[in-house]
Amino acid sequence: MDVAFLIFLSSGLFLGWSLGANDAANVFGTAVGSRMVRFPTAAAICAVFVLLGAVISGGGASAGLGQLGAITALGGAFTVALAAAVTVYGMTVAGLPVSTTQAIVGAIVGWNLFSGTPTDLGALGRIMGTWVASPLLGAAFAWVLYRVMRFAIRITKPHLLILDQLLRVGFILAGAVGAYSLGANNIANVVGVFVPAANLGTTAFGPLVLSGAQRLFAMGGIAIAGGAFFSRPVMMTVGRSLMMLNPLGGVVVVTAQSMVLFVFSSTSLQALIVGMGLPAIPLVPVSSSQAVVGAVVGVALARGLKGLRQIQWTVLRNIAVGWVLTPTIAAVTSYVTLYVVQNVFDQVVVGP
Amino acid sequence: MAELKGAPLRRTRFLQAQIDEFLDVVSQAVLSYEAGVADYLQHGWTDAVEEKSAQIREYENRGDRLRSELGTALYTEMLLPDTVGDVLGLLGALDHLLDVLKTNITMLRVERPVFPPELQGSTRDVLRAACETVEQTVLASRSYFRDPSTARDHQHKIHFYEDEAEHAGFRVMEAIYASDLSLAEKRQLREQIMRIDRLADLADDAGDALAIYAVKRSI
Repeated sequence: MDVAFLIFLSSGLFLGWSLGANDAANVFGTAVGSRMVRFPTAAAICAVFVLLGAVISGGGASAGLGQLGAITALGGAFTVALAAAVTVYGMTVAGLPVSTTQAIVGAIVGWNLFSGTPTDLGALGRIMGTWVASPLLGAAFAWVLYRVMRFAIRITKPHLLILDQLLRVGFILAGAVGAYSLGANNIANVVGVFVPAANLGTTAFGPLVLSGAQRLFAMGGIAIAGGAFFSRPVMMTVGRSLMMLNPLGGVVVVTAQSMVLFVFSSTSLQALIVGMGLPAIPLVPVSSSQAVVGAVVGVALARGLKGLRQIQWTVLRNIAVGWVLTPTIAAVTSYVTLYVVQNVFDQVVVGP
Repeated sequence: MAELKGAPLRRTRFLQAQIDEFLDVVSQAVLSYEAGVADYLQHGWTDAVEEKSAQIREYENRGDRLRSELGTALYTEMLLPDTVGDVLGLLGALDHLLDVLKTNITMLRVERPVFPPELQGSTRDVLRAACETVEQTVLASRSYFRDPSTARDHQHKIHFYEDEAEHAGFRVMEAIYASDLSLAEKRQLREQIMRIDRLADLADDAGDALAIYAVKRSI
């Protein structure tokens, strides 16, 4: 692994850092915001499990993203990741809703357009379908979980203090699973575009053998994990201002979001579903923010009219706007940046 | 992981036992108060009443200690972050009832008012209704910790007994002022009735606050 490769990879690592700083809030935001889990605990658990998820289970969603367009030159991968990062940064500064997943998809489509590679419309359709499916699935999971847990609490009537303790354990377990799933699913956004161009060999660290892709995932995972330690402001925002959630609602939201990310990244679950003769779930990166918003709506629906009144409908409208705006801006940015990098900096952005 | 350090479930069960003990203390104190005052009405300040008075002082001290320990534990261990204010508010309101019980029995000991036989029955009615209001508030508090939806079931009883205490107290005070007692005696007896009735008022206030806490906890 030479220095030039690391320089090219830097845009992906920056994207990973931003993703960690933003999306760790989706995993532990409600826990930290409601003061059920302290920030250092949340950040440490998040960092460890994001890294594990990326290295162990990052292949599924990364392969799914690869179907959209295999970027064959490191310069191209650098530029595509940079375009996605710039889009995310620019939209965040402008106060517009943004998803890293949608940005990277748009940027890859931009590369396809620039390189003349035909975009697999089937793959694009599947990915875009998951953008709609993930919040809906988040809402459905949350609705069921909330009602089941509420029923269980009403039947067992635990003491307030015991319930508090159980919810803390629930936050930490669900957060760990959520962080693992975030690493497994969203690592594709961070370094997925580098996989076809990197050509890294297998390396052994003692008994631990990592493939080339896993080494990339590990570096991306470290970048996300590093970002998680800078996520305190976003965590407080997610935890307190999205909607007034009680601790039970918070645990349900984190669990439902973890389940959504797991569904779209687990090769084992996909094999199980295909084995049952059901249609395969596309393994592609999905937006954890949108899964969280869906889950919050699910909790609100489970609480009936009282909950519905608390929903901030503008957030839902912003998601719909983001579905169109983010990939479009990323695709245009990617196309323009590729042109600049190829013609001004004289770098190879399209491989043979 | 500060959230889960040091056998968390054992510690939680210890704090749970402390809350239960605190509620027991309030309940026992009001039972002692009712028995003590009823005894006083019949026999005056006897050794039995003195014993009840000592018990109430002991309960009040234990209540203060438990409330202080619970408050410290809940804040320093960051327990119940979303309901800690409500829980401490409830414990504070119940602790205030303990203070009033102690003050009432102490003032009875100091003043030793003489209740004419024709007023004793109606004064006992005020006492019974006021103590029942406190008992129902303690029951509602127990429900709040385990099953907040049932706290409402106790709410209407709290209001009922508070209303009973108020009406009974009004009737006794009317009877006091219609009697041939001196003005000083009338004022002294009225003061005692108002002290007993104040217990019901405070318990009712605690019950109202509890109803809001229970709604906040409803899921």
